[in-house]
Amino acid sequence: MSATIVSQLHSYNKKVARSRATSEPAWVRWSLIAVSLLFLSLFLFIPLAAVFTEALRKGFGAYIAALVDPDALSAIKLTVIAAAISLPLNLVFGVAAAWAIAKFDFRGKSILITLIDLPFAVSPVIAGLIYVLIFGMQGWFGEWLIDHDHKVIFAIPGIVLATIFVTFPFIARELIPLMQAQGKEEEEAGLVLGANGWQILWRITLPNIKWGLLYGVILTNARAMGEFGAVSVVSGHIRGLTNTMPLHVEILYNEYNYAAAFAVASLLAFLALLTLALKSFIEWQASRDVIIDEQIEE
Amino acid sequence: MSIEIRNITKDFGSFQALKNISLDVPSGELVALLGPSGCGKTTLLRIIAGLETPDSGNILFHGSNATERDVREREVGFVFQHYALFRHMSVFENVAFGLRVRPKATRPSDAEISKRVHKLLELVQLDWLADRYPPQLSGGQRQRIALARALAVEPKVLLLDEPFGALDAKVRKDLRRWLRRLHDELHITSVFVTHDQEEALEVADRIVVMNHGQVEQIGSPQEVYDAPASPFVYQFLGNVNLFHSRVNEGRAQIGGIELQLDAHQETKDSPAFAYVRPHDIEVLKEADGEHAFEATVNYIHAIGPLVRLELQRADNPELIEAELTRERFRELSLTEGQSVFIRPRNVRVFLNQVA
Repeated sequence: MSATIVSQLHSYNKKVARSRATSEPAWVRWSLIAVSLLFLSLFLFIPLAAVFTEALRKGFGAYIAALVDPDALSAIKLTVIAAAISLPLNLVFGVAAAWAIAKFDFRGKSILITLIDLPFAVSPVIAGLIYVLIFGMQGWFGEWLIDHDHKVIFAIPGIVLATIFVTFPFIARELIPLMQAQGKEEEEAGLVLGANGWQILWRITLPNIKWGLLYGVILTNARAMGEFGAVSVVSGHIRGLTNTMPLHVEILYNEYNYAAAFAVASLLAFLALLTLALKSFIEWQASRDVIIDEQIEE
Repeated sequence: MSIEIRNITKDFGSFQALKNISLDVPSGELVALLGPSGCGKTTLLRIIAGLETPDSGNILFHGSNATERDVREREVGFVFQHYALFRHMSVFENVAFGLRVRPKATRPSDAEISKRVHKLLELVQLDWLADRYPPQLSGGQRQRIALARALAVEPKVLLLDEPFGALDAKVRKDLRRWLRRLHDELHITSVFVTHDQEEALEVADRIVVMNHGQVEQIGSPQEVYDAPASPFVYQFLGNVNLFHSRVNEGRAQIGGIELQLDAHQETKDSPAFAYVRPHDIEVLKEADGEHAFEATVNYIHAIGPLVRLELQRADNPELIEAELTRERFRELSLTEGQSVFIRPRNVRVFLNQVA
């Protein structure tokens, strides 16, 4: 069956390419392609290649050494911890918020949508500062935290909080339009057929939004691991303790340890490439479903 | 199972969707809720299903109050306008859904589920599609799968929202006859919503005509078509000619002619509307005393079993539609632009309350 789907996809692409009336003369097409390729190589391919060349400049041994350095390992570990905590929380929040916005009508709905967008609008540095103001030494809860011997700022909780703040729109933003387009008829059908809330969520809603959800998770993960600004403000840059990977790269770079800085940076670059690959795979999967839908509609 | 609807009211903000609706659906009947869009018919259907809650009033299933009963406990089958099939499940799984989500104690075994699903798929004549997915089906097939899915939970009441609305004309005709036959086989109390009068007249045992959140008339297809209770029902069901008229002591004046009425004996010179179906307009070549008025033939549409004429009254700019049999049309040998005389039969007069 998958073979027929692929061939359908091909004929679909051909159909788009064949329409002569809307195509430009050859020289226009080629110069547009050339301009975009030139631009991409200048701003994307060359820097990306530079990251990997610089990382391997002192040989593969030095590259590995930079990665297994205790400070580097601790930075990697902290980055993974921050992502591993913020991801599930964002997953639950994203699905809940998208569900509420797409399937119910309530007062203040537009305010909620605006609030979800807030981290996109606010500079990450300000996001970090907010937490310093709340939990820092001179902040609202500063004294209470010191009295009870809890550390938020310049410690892991602060980093996790900042990461959650900058990543929480991704999943909700991805799901809201999808769920709005799908409507709530299928859920109502499940309800009439006797399914309870959990059964509806697991058997109807989640399977319907799985590609959008996965897409949102991947974007959230990429952002959580790559976040610099907000985390930088709350982290305190304590080596081996509160440094995430992006912060570790900065420290190494400022110490003129280029090869090590680029080695750690190459991990982040690799993460970015992986994200892109997964993203296009998911988009391909999702569009495949849509194309089949459209063909049947015809 | 019979359904009784008692004084149901429902507002959406400032919009009054249902205004004090009461009606009965006797056990085993197929009832159509008919009305223009926005008349509240779908809201009423959703209230019966339990998908909306009424602001006031009660729903009784088989005499017991079901107003507060949860959707899941109402034992209704609901077919959605756009079918709402679960797009990521095969046809088989769609139909099996209602059985699979039952609590363990009442859930049939896999073998039993499989048997029942195939039996239902045979009933809707689509057993060969069991492994397909909803996007791979045509509209008519989706409709029948949605019906099989609704029937799988053995509902006591079947509710259908615009069941044929999204289908093309040919499929729609076939499917509505099929639904009628299915209902005659199963005898399950059914309510369907439609805006298509032809559909309601052909399929339903009983029609509830609704407008602006109110019931205009309840009756058999013949009753609502032959004896509409209000001007709205007259205009909504089938084509009709409207004449401005004056009524005085049981006599109605339309143009140059005067008609004797059975009703309105006490009425003193008040404005009224007179309704006549196009097939009740008699076309004559010669004037026939006082009971006909003059008109010109504007257009002739001679397609189908009936010939439709558009006529222009001589005394005012109103247009009149008439339908003749082909035989009668040949007898008259009419041409466009010709002058004729017309005589309305079976005139219904409603006083103009507003003026």
